[in-house]
Amino acid sequence: MNKKLTLAAALLAATVLSSAASAKTFVYCSEGSPEGFDPALYTAGTTFDAAAHTVYNRLLEFKPGTTETQPGIAESWEISDDGLEYTFKIRPGVKFQTTDFFTPSRDVNADDVIFSFERQLKADNPWHQYVAGAAWEYFNGMGFPDLIASIEKVDDMTVRFKLKQKEAPFLANVAMPFASIVSKEYADKLAADGKMEMLNQQPLGTGPFEFVAYQTDAVIRYRAHEDYWGGKQKIDDLVFAITTDAAVRYQKLKAGECHLMPFPNAADVAEMKNDPNLKVEEQEGLNVAYLAYNTTQAPFDNVNVRKALNMAINKQAIVDAVFQGAATPAKNPIPPTMWSYNDAIEDDAYDLDAAKKMLEEAGVKDLSMKIWAMPVARPYMLNARRAAELIQADFAKIGVTVEIVTYEWAEYLDRSKAKDRDGAVMLGWTGDNGDPDNFLHTLLGCDAVGGNNRAQWCNEEFNDLVVKAKATTDPAERTKLYEEAQVVFKREAPWATIDHSLSVVPMRKEVQGFHQSPLGDFAFEGVDLVE
Amino acid sequence: MTDTASTHARMQDASRRARLAEFWYYFSENRGAVIGLGVFVALVIVALFAPLIAPHAPNAQFRDATLLPPFWQEGGRAAFPLGTDPLGRDMLSRLLHGARFSLFIGVVVTLLALTTGIIIGTIAGYFRGWVDTAITRLMDIILAFPSLLLALVLVAVLGPGLNNAMIAIALVQQPHYVRLTRAAVMGEKGRDYVTAARVAGAGNVRLMFRTILPNCTAPLIVQAALSFSTAILDAAALGFLGMGAQPPTPEWGTMLAESREFILRAWWVVTFPGLAILITVLAINLMGDGLRDALDPKLKRS
Repeated sequence: MNKKLTLAAALLAATVLSSAASAKTFVYCSEGSPEGFDPALYTAGTTFDAAAHTVYNRLLEFKPGTTETQPGIAESWEISDDGLEYTFKIRPGVKFQTTDFFTPSRDVNADDVIFSFERQLKADNPWHQYVAGAAWEYFNGMGFPDLIASIEKVDDMTVRFKLKQKEAPFLANVAMPFASIVSKEYADKLAADGKMEMLNQQPLGTGPFEFVAYQTDAVIRYRAHEDYWGGKQKIDDLVFAITTDAAVRYQKLKAGECHLMPFPNAADVAEMKNDPNLKVEEQEGLNVAYLAYNTTQAPFDNVNVRKALNMAINKQAIVDAVFQGAATPAKNPIPPTMWSYNDAIEDDAYDLDAAKKMLEEAGVKDLSMKIWAMPVARPYMLNARRAAELIQADFAKIGVTVEIVTYEWAEYLDRSKAKDRDGAVMLGWTGDNGDPDNFLHTLLGCDAVGGNNRAQWCNEEFNDLVVKAKATTDPAERTKLYEEAQVVFKREAPWATIDHSLSVVPMRKEVQGFHQSPLGDFAFEGVDLVE
Repeated sequence: MTDTASTHARMQDASRRARLAEFWYYFSENRGAVIGLGVFVALVIVALFAPLIAPHAPNAQFRDATLLPPFWQEGGRAAFPLGTDPLGRDMLSRLLHGARFSLFIGVVVTLLALTTGIIIGTIAGYFRGWVDTAITRLMDIILAFPSLLLALVLVAVLGPGLNNAMIAIALVQQPHYVRLTRAAVMGEKGRDYVTAARVAGAGNVRLMFRTILPNCTAPLIVQAALSFSTAILDAAALGFLGMGAQPPTPEWGTMLAESREFILRAWWVVTFPGLAILITVLAINLMGDGLRDALDPKLKRS
């Protein structure tokens, strides 16, 4: 017995020693398979995690854990006074990865940058349709085809984008995954070999990790990029173990088979927090759930009616019942992690008596209304029907009768856009690029009435502010304009803001240096394992 | 004259009582059926007196008491004997009120399907010819669809809600009645008493509904009892899929759907509505079996 124990101890010691000497491997239990490895072709976060944040870099990068941008492949940039010309200076000495399948002969230059955008922009580019049905959804969705007038090569290390109109979020947009910089040299070689589709299967970029192999629906392997311009990573190997079931991911994490997992079941989080081997990081997601009144219809065209209803919604009860606490009540239309969030704004207190009085003063009696509840779970609202039932009970206390209606999801999105829609719509939004414009102008601007502006709310004062902010390039000036816009929003109350959900990331205790991205990305640059 | 009439009535009365006694004799042979009947009667009483029995209003939300376990578990409160749901509503009260909806659904759907089914079936069986062909083909088409799928499509077209769900389920069930009635009417139509009535000058309508139909009721009663439970089950399924009763209606299927995320964390929210559906459907099915034993001459052991 004793002998056996010593033997076991010796073996254990040997394994510990050998593992310390050998490569550090970080295993991420990812939630699904990537659609492919060319991030510009797709829209799913899973694909961006597997391709954009590992293999590639962008001209600008989001600072880890924030929505602010910092220099990436572009070392610096200049914006012309009219705001229509963006000149990017490319960082010298940015090396492409050297892999089994390709050996680059040069560093990043202007050709790579121009190629990365023109393949999405120009229909006559040979790479525009290199996979059947390439739709470049994000590129088009962000309005780039109508925005970019031309992309010019000033010299080998300088690129100039000419825009058709002023667009302040442009810098944030080129930090998005679809704007990843691919190697023109690699692409040319693939084209010469007649294997263009490999760009979507064996990616090659400048990022912190280089692609090794992908076993469909099972595992993706990466190795640290030796010559990465930001310095070689502390971990040597990165593995994505694809595990679609949240309960299985949790079991694997518990057993130490992976170091970090996304999207736990809300009900499991309490148990995770009690596990001494795990730590749970929580952060407000870049999202908002709201109830949009139809501000064109009586009596909801009356600010006081909207305000009174807002005061009757117990947001904390919704957070508790729907998210089991994994959310924060919202007071502004943009989430607190976003720059220009106006924390000085006071939320309407939950006060049924005052709400009732306000309704009476507005001359509204026996109001009955519809509340639309989404049929599906979204990150910002896990169970809309339950939230609607809570609101229904609250409204009943101030004498407002509520009927809850719902439609199939696509139908719901479509019908809720109608200008003469009957009832208040529950919906939400998750930010794309971390720019307040993506919330305030996209969801509440006059242009979006009959579309994303579900409140059908066109307020001149508010709209002037956000349009002005969109065309301003100075961040401090923009912050001021957006803060002011939030004041107008709160005063006019076209929505009842409901919540910002928390994104919860459980990981092993030994994981260090992981920054949760407010944009919902899982990027492992700078991550280390410390026993 | 008056004497004979009363004697006649008495004789009829005696024969009815004898038939009832016979029915009860065969029905009580089947112990399961008696238990089923007992449970069903209890359910009807619960449904009728739900507002009096239930400790709370079904939609009253106690925000300080969300997801409480049943009283025998640690943390449970006597005020909420079967615990509370995520919105702090008393499970017991919701289940009791849910019995009303379920039985109401059963009654309405069965009545709707039964009456339309009988009328259409009698017409088809009595007139035969092209009327019959047209009706049977139509019924075959309806029967060719999986019933729940067809109900789902109908509700999707009509819009979700309890009333539309009931109409859809009734429409899906009605072909069964049509076929049963048609077959029975065809069997009876050639009998001597029908010919006698016709010779005596009875019109078509009288022949169909006064002469023939009363002799076809046994299989229809059995079918009605069995489809009563199917109706409850289908309504629960539609509710579960979000197409039936809309919140906050305490319908059992909807309650089940609303709480399935808690299956590991708060078993009582999911288990009790499921049990309620199970017990009700089982009781009605057992009762239906007993009815068949008692009413179907082929099954009578004599």
